[in-house]
Amino acid sequence: MWKSVIYKEWIKTRWFIILYAVLGLAVVGYIFLNVQRDFKFNDANNYWYTIMFMGVRYFGSLKFVPLFGALAISVAQFFPETVSKRIKLTFHLPLNENRVLLMMMLYGTVGLVASYFVQLAMFYALSVLFFPSDIIFPALASITPWFLSGLACYYLAALIVLEPVWKYRIAYLVVAGTFVPLYVQSAPTGAYAPANLALTLLVIIISISLLFSGYRFRKGEM
Amino acid sequence: MVKLSRYFLVIIAIIGFGIALPKLYWVAFAQPIRAPFIQYSCIDHDFMLLRSGDEVTRTNSKGDTFTREEYENKLPLMYTRQLLMNNTMPDSIDGVEMDMHDISNNRSTFRVRPKEIHAPLPTLFPLFESQSGRANLEMPKDFFRITWRMEFIDAESNKVDEEKSRMFSAVLYKRGFKFPAKSINGLPTTRKSCDEGYLVIDSADQLFHIKLVKGLPFVEKAELPEGLKFRSINCVDFKDKFYYAYLFSTDNHVYVLTQYDYQLVKLDVENINPEENEIRIYGDLFNYNVISTGEGEITSQVLDKDYNKVNEYNEIWPVRDERKEGKVAQLLFPAQLKMTNSNSSYVRFFFEANKSFNWIFLSLLLMATQFMIIRKRKENIKNQLVDLGIIAVTGIFGFIAVNFFPNKFFK
Repeated sequence: MWKSVIYKEWIKTRWFIILYAVLGLAVVGYIFLNVQRDFKFNDANNYWYTIMFMGVRYFGSLKFVPLFGALAISVAQFFPETVSKRIKLTFHLPLNENRVLLMMMLYGTVGLVASYFVQLAMFYALSVLFFPSDIIFPALASITPWFLSGLACYYLAALIVLEPVWKYRIAYLVVAGTFVPLYVQSAPTGAYAPANLALTLLVIIISISLLFSGYRFRKGEM
Repeated sequence: MVKLSRYFLVIIAIIGFGIALPKLYWVAFAQPIRAPFIQYSCIDHDFMLLRSGDEVTRTNSKGDTFTREEYENKLPLMYTRQLLMNNTMPDSIDGVEMDMHDISNNRSTFRVRPKEIHAPLPTLFPLFESQSGRANLEMPKDFFRITWRMEFIDAESNKVDEEKSRMFSAVLYKRGFKFPAKSINGLPTTRKSCDEGYLVIDSADQLFHIKLVKGLPFVEKAELPEGLKFRSINCVDFKDKFYYAYLFSTDNHVYVLTQYDYQLVKLDVENINPEENEIRIYGDLFNYNVISTGEGEITSQVLDKDYNKVNEYNEIWPVRDERKEGKVAQLLFPAQLKMTNSNSSYVRFFFEANKSFNWIFLSLLLMATQFMIIRKRKENIKNQLVDLGIIAVTGIFGFIAVNFFPNKFFK
């Protein structure tokens, strides 16, 4: 039964996950195409200097990529469930309703984290070719909240999509509008380092937020 | 689990509103607070205050008001060009002839802000050739860091230059340097008059001067008094070449490190903390003016050229929380959260507790409102006690949060 639930999620989201993974890798590839071009047109030492002392962020194009990917996957996964209230069919399965919702969430999380991991691995592997750890680690501290913003957006978008009452959808949207920007503030490279642990904990606690709108849906809130 | 998910969402909403609502409030209602620009007149031996705003006023510390021309005439070392143009530049001041070369040579401006100290600082630096024989400095091909040794990394190959690294590390080791470095301070730019390398604090809090001279390491240890530690070391490139840097100690004093003989000279100033206040130091032919500007206070301490204090001026003004808009904010918000702070370049959660308890009135009002909502929904009050507690503690943020995520199903 669980396999079937996961298969259903896969059918809904496969093209979005695959397309997003490809897009994510393309963006990372584009970043390093630019880096090698800058190495060619400016000397390597001058390029390093601009990164360390003049605030140039070679990884800046990545900023909203995790967020948009998460939004697309979340909508692809949960919007079809709201059409004609199909999620009710899932709730009629001989499975615990909360566990089904958590499984759906876990599926999306694994899909997103896997594609984020591939992007980060490629980012790190290519960074090592051009830069020392003194440049790479602050860069990773800066892009970490961007990936966390993706997960936060995924959980909150799922919450909003599955919420049965429009009034509350808008309320949740306002909350998301105050919360998600905390992850994508403009800041110098490496400035997010002291915040990353707290921001990770906040993402972990909202990972079960779908249970709330799922519960309201089950109880027939209109 | 479902209840828990709701409370987690309420927490997220409280954090989101705790940041967004005060931010919106201050965008709408913040009033500018302008500290006066303080200069020291070598004519009157008094402080001259320039206040901007709707009307620009120029006064001295006694409150006498001056026209622009009168004001500039009292600050001939600051407005030298204007006075020369007006033919009002004095020939001499206190028996010292006004030589343009001397005036220019002794003029210096320095500023450091807390935001520059509380910031992610680079760990790799370019070591310029300080005696290249060229008129302009050139960016080196490699950058150094000082961890368990001094390592030079070639930018083109992204590989450690072993020979150069071993050479510098060996010299540092022989001079008693204890790896790794705690702080590396210099002027990592080619846009300076000459290169004087870096002042480095090692892990034993010793101060070293490191530079590259004709391809070879130059390492000099500066003797420090026992137990002296620094908050910040800021290298300078002034025309007079009297000293390498301003050094701000953890006991809130300022030192200069003289060039070539490495004498650490203490300036006769007090309460100088660049981690909390903006520090400006203006030098001219007669004086140094050390200005510390913090929230609600500005202090100017004037020194002679031997670094002894000759005069001091202090001014305070109501801080944001003491002004009308601050008092209203304290009524509205139990606390204010921020992700950024004017004294830091880092992003993290900055929590500002309310200095008064006026917000409790609004919390009580909101609790009463929530009580009415609960009654109207015919909910059991026992199931809503946690929500009321949340409103009591978090005020308007909690009120919005518990109503955005209603718990009317939890019976």
